[in-house]
Amino acid sequence: MEARLAHHFRAIETQRHAERLGMWLFLATEVLLFAGLFCGYTLYRYLYPETFKLASAHLDVFLGTVNTVVLISSSLTVALAHHFAHRDRSRMAGVLLFVSVLAGLAFLGVKAVEYTHKFEEGLLPGRYFHAEGLTAPGASMFFTVYFLTTGLHAFHVVVGMGVLVWIGVRAWRGEFHANHSMPVELGGLYWHLVDLVWIFLYPLLYLV
Amino acid sequence: MDANAAAAADAKHHRSPSAGRYVAVWVALLVLTATTYLTARVDLGGSWNLVVALVIAAVKASLVVLFFMHLWDSRGTNRLVFLVSVFFVILLIAGVVGDMATRFPLARPPEATGLTGAGEEPEGPGRDPAHGAQNQRVR
Repeated sequence: MEARLAHHFRAIETQRHAERLGMWLFLATEVLLFAGLFCGYTLYRYLYPETFKLASAHLDVFLGTVNTVVLISSSLTVALAHHFAHRDRSRMAGVLLFVSVLAGLAFLGVKAVEYTHKFEEGLLPGRYFHAEGLTAPGASMFFTVYFLTTGLHAFHVVVGMGVLVWIGVRAWRGEFHANHSMPVELGGLYWHLVDLVWIFLYPLLYLV
Repeated sequence: MDANAAAAADAKHHRSPSAGRYVAVWVALLVLTATTYLTARVDLGGSWNLVVALVIAAVKASLVVLFFMHLWDSRGTNRLVFLVSVFFVILLIAGVVGDMATRFPLARPPEATGLTGAGEEPEGPGRDPAHGAQNQRVR
């Protein structure tokens, strides 16, 4: 199967350029979506710098670091999947995409363990906050920001995994080759954006 | 695959990056993750820990954007779209922090310790322009 040229494009190159540009425009809106939450983080860290240090100590740095490594490695496998799809090795690309999905599952598993601990300790957002050992003003705001940023990020991981499964199945069936690898490339871009957001969340939340 | 298609595919291979480059970027990202983890355990004084963490995060993000997301080999418009979005993130954060930093103290949430007086240069606004400038430089 060749990449299909839509009738409103003059050449396949023009179409590819438009496809990439469209994806980047979408990613820009995603960056701005997360920007609101990063802005909230900056504001409350600015207002309560000491509390943010204390509250951050209640997060598990080890689990956060593990998740960082998992996500970075999944970005590598996605990048390699595109690499192989582009070299007529569609099935290999499929395998790498499924490995990436497994990494996404591992990430969510670790996240679930972390959330469970937070629930048990009462480290919850806003007025649900009732932790025993942490009474400093602004502590509830740290966990509001924590749950909103990591929650929105986890939602993106779930969506990204859906995209990777969809493209992975098509790759496994041998659909992609040198002249037709755009779905792998664009799905990969989405996954890398998820990685990108986490690269900033990790030091800002876990390493205050 | 006939000879023409093979030649075309070969030409593409020469233009697109090798698998080795992706692995090298991955290793660099792991090293930087270890670096940011280790530097966070040392108290560098002042807001230097935050500055170092943000610089490392920005370097990691640049590696992902340039090589995994191919902006290094990409056309100008894609780069422009991404840079504009980053610019607006900085604008948003700088504006909100600038607002908070220059407010009458009673207009802030109770018990906020981050800023104890609008006029105090070293403790108050002095701290954040550094933070804001850092954001502009690294993001």
